[in-house]
Amino acid sequence: RLGKAPDWSTHRKPIFSVDIHPDGTKFATGGQGEDSGKVMIWNMAPVLREEDEKNEDVHKMLCQMDNHLACVNCVRWSNNGLYLASGGDDKLVMVWKRAAFIGPSTVFGSSSKLANVEQWRCVTILRNHTGDVMDVAWSPHDVWLASCSVDNTIVIWNARKFPEMVTCLRGHTGLVKGLTWDPVGKYVASQADDHSLKVWRTVDWQMEANITKPFNECGGTTHVLRLSWSPDGQYLVSAHAMNNSGPTAQIVERDGWKTNMDFVGHRKAVTVVKFNPKIFKKKQKNGSSNKPSCPYCCCAVGSKDRSLSVWLTSLKRPLVVIHDLFDKSIMDISWTLTGLGMLVCSMDGTVAYLDFSLDELGDPLSEEEKNSIHQNIYGKSMAITNTEAQLSTTIIENPEMLKYQQQRQTSTQTNSAPGTVGPESSAPKLNSVMNGESLEDIRKNLLKKQVETRTADGRRRITPLCIAQLDTGDFSPALFNSVPILPSGSSMSNQLTPHLSSDSSPGQPSSLGFRPSHDPMLTSPPANSLKALEDNNEGVKSTLLLTSASKIEPIKALDSRFTERSKATPGLTAAITSTAGLTALDSSTPAQKECKLKEDTSSDSEDKMASINKNLMYSKRKPELMIDGGEVVEKRKKGRPRKEKMTTSMVQSFTQVSMEPSVFLEVENEVTVVAGSKLSQLRCSKDGRDWNTLLPSSTLESVEDRMLSVFSSCGRRLLPAIQLATPVSALHCTAHFVMVVTAGATLSVWDVQKQKALVRNESLQSILSGTDTSVSQSLLTQQGVPVVGLSNGKSFCFSSSLETWSLIADKADSLVQCADFRGCLSSHDAPVSSGPLAVMQGRYLNAGRLASRLSSTPHHMQQSMTLAFLENQLASALTLQSGQEYRYWLLIYSRFLVNEGSEHRLRELCKELLGPVHTSATTSWEPTTVGFRKRELLREVLPVIGENLRFQRLFTEYQDQLELLRNK
Amino acid sequence: MAKVQVLNVAVLDNPSPFRNPFQFEITFECMEDLPEDLEWKIIYVGSAESEEYDQILDSVLVGPVPAGRHMFVFQADAPNTGLIPESDAVGVTVVLITCTYRSQEFIRIGYYVNNEYTDPELRENPPIKPDYTQLQRNILASNPRVTRFHINWEGSAERMEDSENVDPSSNSMLPPSCLPGKAPPIGILPDNSMDCL
Repeated sequence: RLGKAPDWSTHRKPIFSVDIHPDGTKFATGGQGEDSGKVMIWNMAPVLREEDEKNEDVHKMLCQMDNHLACVNCVRWSNNGLYLASGGDDKLVMVWKRAAFIGPSTVFGSSSKLANVEQWRCVTILRNHTGDVMDVAWSPHDVWLASCSVDNTIVIWNARKFPEMVTCLRGHTGLVKGLTWDPVGKYVASQADDHSLKVWRTVDWQMEANITKPFNECGGTTHVLRLSWSPDGQYLVSAHAMNNSGPTAQIVERDGWKTNMDFVGHRKAVTVVKFNPKIFKKKQKNGSSNKPSCPYCCCAVGSKDRSLSVWLTSLKRPLVVIHDLFDKSIMDISWTLTGLGMLVCSMDGTVAYLDFSLDELGDPLSEEEKNSIHQNIYGKSMAITNTEAQLSTTIIENPEMLKYQQQRQTSTQTNSAPGTVGPESSAPKLNSVMNGESLEDIRKNLLKKQVETRTADGRRRITPLCIAQLDTGDFSPALFNSVPILPSGSSMSNQLTPHLSSDSSPGQPSSLGFRPSHDPMLTSPPANSLKALEDNNEGVKSTLLLTSASKIEPIKALDSRFTERSKATPGLTAAITSTAGLTALDSSTPAQKECKLKEDTSSDSEDKMASINKNLMYSKRKPELMIDGGEVVEKRKKGRPRKEKMTTSMVQSFTQVSMEPSVFLEVENEVTVVAGSKLSQLRCSKDGRDWNTLLPSSTLESVEDRMLSVFSSCGRRLLPAIQLATPVSALHCTAHFVMVVTAGATLSVWDVQKQKALVRNESLQSILSGTDTSVSQSLLTQQGVPVVGLSNGKSFCFSSSLETWSLIADKADSLVQCADFRGCLSSHDAPVSSGPLAVMQGRYLNAGRLASRLSSTPHHMQQSMTLAFLENQLASALTLQSGQEYRYWLLIYSRFLVNEGSEHRLRELCKELLGPVHTSATTSWEPTTVGFRKRELLREVLPVIGENLRFQRLFTEYQDQLELLRNK
Repeated sequence: MAKVQVLNVAVLDNPSPFRNPFQFEITFECMEDLPEDLEWKIIYVGSAESEEYDQILDSVLVGPVPAGRHMFVFQADAPNTGLIPESDAVGVTVVLITCTYRSQEFIRIGYYVNNEYTDPELRENPPIKPDYTQLQRNILASNPRVTRFHINWEGSAERMEDSENVDPSSNSMLPPSCLPGKAPPIGILPDNSMDCL
């Protein structure tokens, strides 16, 4: 079946690029618009099925974006289907994302009155090229986006952190017109007008190969040179090459970059080559001998000679050649992910759809088989194992499992919002009501109601009425008094544009006019009969103007006024300049303040007391400043401010017990002098309750007298003064634990409640191995576990049960940087940033920072690095007795195991969490860990396991056992 | 990529007597909070022959503009008839709505305007000196002509490289680096300003 889809519905402009969405429901085209570049997204259904085409309720065009200033040369969907990248003559690459909850709207002023059914918004613009962008390509797994340009460069963008640029590949001496990644992401290849094809390594972004021989003869230029890499990675096929003065598509072997073969037969230069994403094997026919055949690939070649050829690598001749399909050169080809459908677009402004059968192409290999081919050749698996395609055939055996699978599917659906396009999706229900007022009411009174002020220089300034806020996370947070734009917004936009929708003239072509022909695939289909409706919209403008008749000439003159920019009016611009200046000044003031604060903080930290969490420190600034700046210093004229400050901040750390932000502490030394003995007063006020104590002057100054006193939040003394061996260097109180690090490098922890020592004068010597390391940070967890951070970036905690120091964090650990578990982070469990582990490892854990750069390291390496890292985290959290963090990392860990398919580890983990089903006297299994019941944890882990069908046996096994135990 | 998209312009009070004020209800959408105001202008083209007869009917600042969909009504007085060439009073002309951000025009919406006498008698035999009280203004609201220009939406520090659509005169008039207070004097902005956060 061959169908021909048209054009831009109103007039025919070249289509330079076409790409089918990975889910096969829609496709994008890019090309020339009226006075800008144009990206359009179309529904696939009307192309595939005739009944959908005839059904007027099925939308044909879903969205058009004319944000590109000039012709769009390339559109490409990301592999995950969430993004669309487009590149154009305006030197820009734009990345689009679907805005989920905004209803349809029209592009104002565009001559087609068709509403955008879906809203795709530009989320980022990539600027670097200094010339037209000719091709863009997403790397496997969407790690990078590559773009090439007539500025002779290729730019690699970090697709996980737009608009970050990874590198710019220089080396071509001509316009770069095509790009392709190899299927395992090891290379990217480019073809340029400089008669060369270059292969670049992704490890170091250096050139791997420079192939020139097949291109030496090439004369003339093609608009694009879209080359393609075969899905098995073995072959790279170039666009325009020459062999014996005939145009060819050159086959380049991966092994040694040999150029011995080519696809011959086109009469003019090859513009585009596109491999079918599937690998095929010969269809087993009944009766024929079942000898195993070699898998092969399928490749489509389009040319300037307007013909298209489809080749199988197992055949010497093309499978099919289609001549005269178009009036002009073929520009781009896109296969469906199933490998059985193909869209071809042409300069003549049309798109054709080709449909193949399994009989023609063969049996496509499953993703699993494809993976195993990749693994055999390249030693790393292509995709994480739980791809939909692979599992679609697996039978779900357990109803619980089914539940999780369904939940997962619905959640992914809502996340990616692919949306069913068709009549059911447009079920409008008007409720665009704001504060009880309908939009209609608002509009009636808008002029009266809108707020208008005068600026300082007397200009009118209108505050616009916000009628809806934007939905996506990419945009700023919610506004007051505004309503989110609801999915039902279609009717709202209709309401907004009554006059627009009403005047769609009958002369307009009835929607799109897909006209399939049912001729079997022949070499020469009646192309002309396939033409889309000629548009007769040209007359609209003049007919509407007929009433005014007469002046046709002036209208021409007037027309130019629509597009020419007005000269800026000097008076007005000056006004703007001055306001800009003002706002800039304003914004600089808080910045200065912040810097001042910063200085204060840093001077404090000199006291080595800055061991409190930085955050607390910050929130405590105010009271502390009061103490320092205010009373104490004033009262104590001859005092020693520095020491006092130490005391206050030290005691302040004590008040953390109460966790009240507004605790004021005051210390007065030498308050009363009785018979020559000096007394100090410690005063604490909290919520208006004051207490004060008199102390022998030196007791608090533990620095000198090495005495430690402990008070309750009401000021009761809890322990008699403790005599320490050496002066205190750091002091912490958390819950009912007190921790002291002394200058003599020993550490003690007391449990005040039980009046018991947990850690007794433990020496830090063993961890301060070197000479230069010193204690930079110390911490006491809620469970009374002491943690010490060292200047060399390592952090240790003392495990009182093991009676050893254990390493819990090492900032220099390369594992941390290489681990890539972001795919396992779940959106609903927020990262634990306040736990002791997180504090010691830095609030912004850099884990995985290098991971994206490392996709070229073998997959199993990365996998084991991540595994090791996650297991480290788990063990550390356990030692720190940090329950929340343990749970957090446990879930990530299990998700990672599930994704990577490590069944043995997963099973062991479950076993450990479940414990023995039958209790006997000899079992030493603890039912709880770090405050969690292990079986409860298992209950949380099981849904994660349930997400991967491969583990349904494991899931069922433990699910049943848990049920059994619960019933007991 | 334009941060501001005009979604709709509704022409209110149309058709109307020539001397009535222009009213446009403008709906636009903004991708992110704009630190500066938008400036909207209504320009009446007095004569097709020359820009000389263009009249800026009014200009307003619109702001603050947070991310979202907004609307407002832009009202401006009718053109000064004294500035319109008599021969051009009756017939087709153009009214333009332009919007600028940081004094760069990024959208221009044009409408044909037809001014004609309602009285058939006058229509047949128009007076040599136009009688504006009898003229009716009809804006061809159904056929807006929209031209979008690419501008630099970011701070003026990074200047857009392609000057294709940038009016050179506005550039020379407003060298962006010279905006007072915009470019921080060297040394004042501390290097560690990030640490404060």
